[in-house]
Order: sequence, then C-alpha cells, then structure tokens
Amino acid sequence: MSLLEVEELRTGYGALPVLQGISFNVEEGQTAVIFGLNGAGKTTTVNCLAGVLPTWSGEVRFDGKRISGKDAPGIVKAGIALSPEGRRVWPGLSVLKNLELGAWVRKDQKAIGETVEQVFGYFPRLEERKDQMAGTLSGGEQQMLAIGRAIMCKPRLLMIDEASLGLSPKLAQTVFQVVSQINDDGTTVIIVEQNVGVLPYADQALIMEKGALTFDGRGEELERSGELRKTYLGEAAAE
Amino acid sequence: MSAVLLTAPQQMQPLALEFVVPVVSGLIQGSVYGLLGLGLVLLYKSGRIFNFAQAEIGTFSALFAAFADQGTGPFPDLPVPVAILIGLLTGVGLGLLVERVVIRPLFSAPKVTVVVATAGVLLLLVALGGFLSGPEPRSAVQIFEGDFLETSSLRVTDTGALVVVVLAVLAVLSALFFSRTRTGTAIIAVSQEPTATRLVGISVERTSALTWGIAGLLGAIAGILLSGTVGVVFPGSLTFIALVPAFTAAVLGGVTALPGAFVGGVVVGMIESFAQTNIPKDVLPGSGKVVLFVALLAVLLLRPAGLLGKET
Ligand SMILES: Nc1ncnc2c1ncn2[C@@H]1O[C@H](COP(=O)(O)OP(=O)(O)O)[C@@H](O)[C@H]1O
Ligand SMILES: [Mg+2]
Repeated sequence: MSLLEVEELRTGYGALPVLQGISFNVEEGQTAVIFGLNGAGKTTTVNCLAGVLPTWSGEVRFDGKRISGKDAPGIVKAGIALSPEGRRVWPGLSVLKNLELGAWVRKDQKAIGETVEQVFGYFPRLEERKDQMAGTLSGGEQQMLAIGRAIMCKPRLLMIDEASLGLSPKLAQTVFQVVSQINDDGTTVIIVEQNVGVLPYADQALIMEKGALTFDGRGEELERSGELRKTYLGEAAAE
Repeated sequence: MSAVLLTAPQQMQPLALEFVVPVVSGLIQGSVYGLLGLGLVLLYKSGRIFNFAQAEIGTFSALFAAFADQGTGPFPDLPVPVAILIGLLTGVGLGLLVERVVIRPLFSAPKVTVVVATAGVLLLLVALGGFLSGPEPRSAVQIFEGDFLETSSLRVTDTGALVVVVLAVLAVLSALFFSRTRTGTAIIAVSQEPTATRLVGISVERTSALTWGIAGLLGAIAGILLSGTVGVVFPGSLTFIALVPAFTAAVLGGVTALPGAFVGGVVVGMIESFAQTNIPKDVLPGSGKVVLFVALLAVLLLRPAGLLGKET
C-alpha cells in the first residue's frame, strides 16, 4: 500500500473545473516532484490534498484511510502539511512565533521546542533571525520559514508548492538540499517545481498539463528522456 | 451626563475649576469611550473591520439588562446581578449571531462590503430596539447607587469610578490575551494570513466566532456601564452618545493596540471635557464634539498609526 493514493480526483473553482480526474500514488519515504507550466493545476492539486479546496469527486487515501472531504485542520491532524505557494508567513509575528504556530495541532506542546531546534538545524539562518518579524525576512528566508513551519507539526507527508520561485539558483539548491535532508530523516515529500534543478532529488516525477497528469515515472526516467524535458520543461527551465 | 457633577462652582478655586473637574470628568467619560473602543480595536485587529453596530450591541445589552431589572416583557423582576448577567449574555449572543449571519458569509468579500453590512446591522438593531422597548428612554440598571467621592466642588459616582477601573483591567487583560494565550495568537494569525492559519490546523470559522463573541461581551460591558452613568437607555442611545468618540479613541490609541484604546479613550474624554469647560456655549455650541473631530482629523493626517499603534 502506498502512503498517498489519489484516485480520479476532480476539483475546481466555483463552476470552473480544473482537475480532470487525476490519479497517482506516492510511496512512503520518497520524494515526488510535480512539474508543469504555469496554470497546469499543480497548486490546485496540492491545495485540494491539503483541504483548502473542496474535493468534487474522486478519493484520496492516506495510509489507507480516506481523507478526501476533510477540512484543512483535519488533514493536518492526519499528518499532511503544506508549505503553500507564495510563502504566506505571518508577517507581523516573529520567526519563532511562526514556527510555534506550525505546531498548533500537536498534542505534545511541551516538546515543540525540540522541533524548533530541529528546524534551526536545517535552516541556521532562521535561528539567527528568530526574534525578527517574518515580514522583514528576505524571500529566501521566508521560504525557509514556510517549510520550517510546515514540518513543525511533524507531518508524515510534507508538500511544498514552488519552493524555488524567486530564489537565486544557489539559494534554490540550498533549499532543495535541506528538503532532501528532511526526506532522509523520514518524511515523505511532494515538491511542486518549475525548476529542473530539483530533478536529482526526485525519486518520482509527475508532469501536469491542463489539469491532467501526462507523465508519472521514476525521476531518472524523466531525466533520460530528453524529449519530455524539452516539451514540458523547456520554457520553464529557460526562466 | 451625570457621572461628575459640579456642585458649587461659585465657591471653587479657579484652578480647581479649570483643571481638576475636567480631568476627572474626562477620565471617566473617556474610560467609557475606551471601553467601547476596545471592542472596535479587537474587531479591527482581528479582521480589519470597523463595526458600526458595536455601540448598538451595547445598547441592546443595556436594554435587556433593564428589561430584566424591571420585569418587562418576557422577564420576571430579577435581581440586579442576574439582570446584568442577562445583559452580558445578550451582548455575547448578538456578537455570535452577527458573526454567523453577516460576517461569515462575507468572508471573502471586500472589507468595505463587510463594514457597510455592519452599518446595516446597526440600523436593524435600532429598529428592533424600538419595536421591543419603544422610543421612550428606560431607566438603566445601576450597579452601584452611591458616591465614590464627594467634595464641595466635585462628585464622582461609584459607577463612574467603576468604569475607570473596569477599562484599565480589561485593557491589560486583553493585551495579555493577545500576547500570551494560544487563542489570542490564533486570532492575530487569522488577521494576518488566513490561508496559512487554516493550513496549520486552526479553524478560521471558530476563531472568528470567538472574536465576535468577545467583542459582543466588551460591547455589553461598555453598554451597561455607559447607560449606568447616563441613567437611561433607549434604542440608538449609545451609538448616538459614544460611537464617534469611541472610534476617535481607537484611532488615537492606534487602532490595533489594545492598551491604546485605554489611552485614546482618556485623551478623547479630556479633550472633550476641557473644550466644554473652557469654550463658552455661545462662542461654539457643542464645542466638545467639534474639538474632538478636529483632533481626529489631526491624528489621521499627522500620525495615522495612532499614539501607540504600529504600522502593520
Ligand atoms: N482562485 C482561482 N479562481 C479561479 N481559477 C483559478 C484560481 N486559481 C487558479 N485558477 C485556475 O486554475 C488553473 C490551474 O491553476 P494552478 O493550480 O494555480 O496552476 P499551477 O499551480 O500549475 O500554476 C488555471 O487555469 C488558473 O487560472
Ligand atoms: Mg502554482
């Protein structure tokens, strides 16, 4: 059994359908990357999985249990966290407060200090700025904070939407390395990316186009097939 | 307003007349504004909403407390503490009802729509109050009947003193609520970034209901105390007497700073009472309110973040 099983998932905005019934699985312990051009439906997918968008039809199972239909708090409690597109930190709260709020659903509130230390281990930059208002952080630091906040609830599945958007190639690599470390430490990861620099870290690669999946395979497979790379990532890679 | 009375102005020292009386009366009156301002600040801080109905929620609470106190309508004649409890519950209930019926359906609407909707709630409450209570002023519940301080020149009622103490305590408590409690932090989190707040597992709906429940309670406390100092309550009374000064207090104090509502309220009360004492009626009628408007404009122009506020 896969950790995440998505079956014929459909959703959209108002009356406008976006996901045309997508199906995929993610195995425990892996890193899956969802590629696709702007407007392909990547954000819609992860937002729906995270419970911020309602599921129209289809089913999502996590660890064998049905989670589609749960709201966002229910999904977090089930063990899935999302670092959303556009970072979305709380600008008027300190870095530390941002992290602590990430642990909202945890029952062991006494132990969240340890997880904060763990996040500081991944992102030393955040520790230096822990009392600073999140709104005054640089784009890269806010990205680190959004990821750090998402792992504060100790999720089994971490989803990151557009981790590298607006970051320098060097900073993007740093973020990818940390994510790979988080993965090594036992968390299953789904990354939404337009940057092919993430490919070396991908166990599984998915490509979305117009609300449908057009590729689902091993990361190396996608890397080898230069054709796919040109077709789907040509423009994005050139950005 | 009868919270402070000049008993024998002829015998007083000019200095006392010019300073002590307006200071004391400004402090008490200003505390009432501050109390009402506290609810306004809470709702502004949590959702960037200016609630036009805040004072009228207070009026309603004071009306229901008066009903219960006098045994009118559905109520038997109840003892004062029970009447006050009924008034407070009315405020909480109204806060929750407004949130559920008006605010929540407008979650993703522009703020301006929501603010206009609260003005609609105000009009509805005034009309409903008229239906339930009639247009005649009704005597308000008195918590205390005595005088806290009485000298030849100055009289402070117990209710007047209570208002100052209650405002100070509530301003401190609500500031602590925001800085120290999980729920307080959740309210701030919703106001700054609702999506992220949902994503960490906080229910935005529950937080919103809670905020309006507390705002309703603050409105009820302000309403019952203010109508106590005035002596009567009637539909629209608190909106008419206190909404604009309370708004000025909130803006002066920095509209997101809770202790600011306290400072702002007291400053507004003092400005008003100094203007009333020192500018003769024939020179400028209603000088207190006019000077207040000038002060509000000045703050909006010179320091829009208020005295204690931060630009966020
Ligand atoms: N809030 C919204 N309301 C209406 N349509 C939306 C909304 N967000 C996204 N869409 C539409 O859904 C489609 C997929 O968008 P999205 O999931 O954001 O794509 P991606 O993340 O792959 O760039 C696009 O056509 C976009 O215009
Ligand atoms: Mg996107």
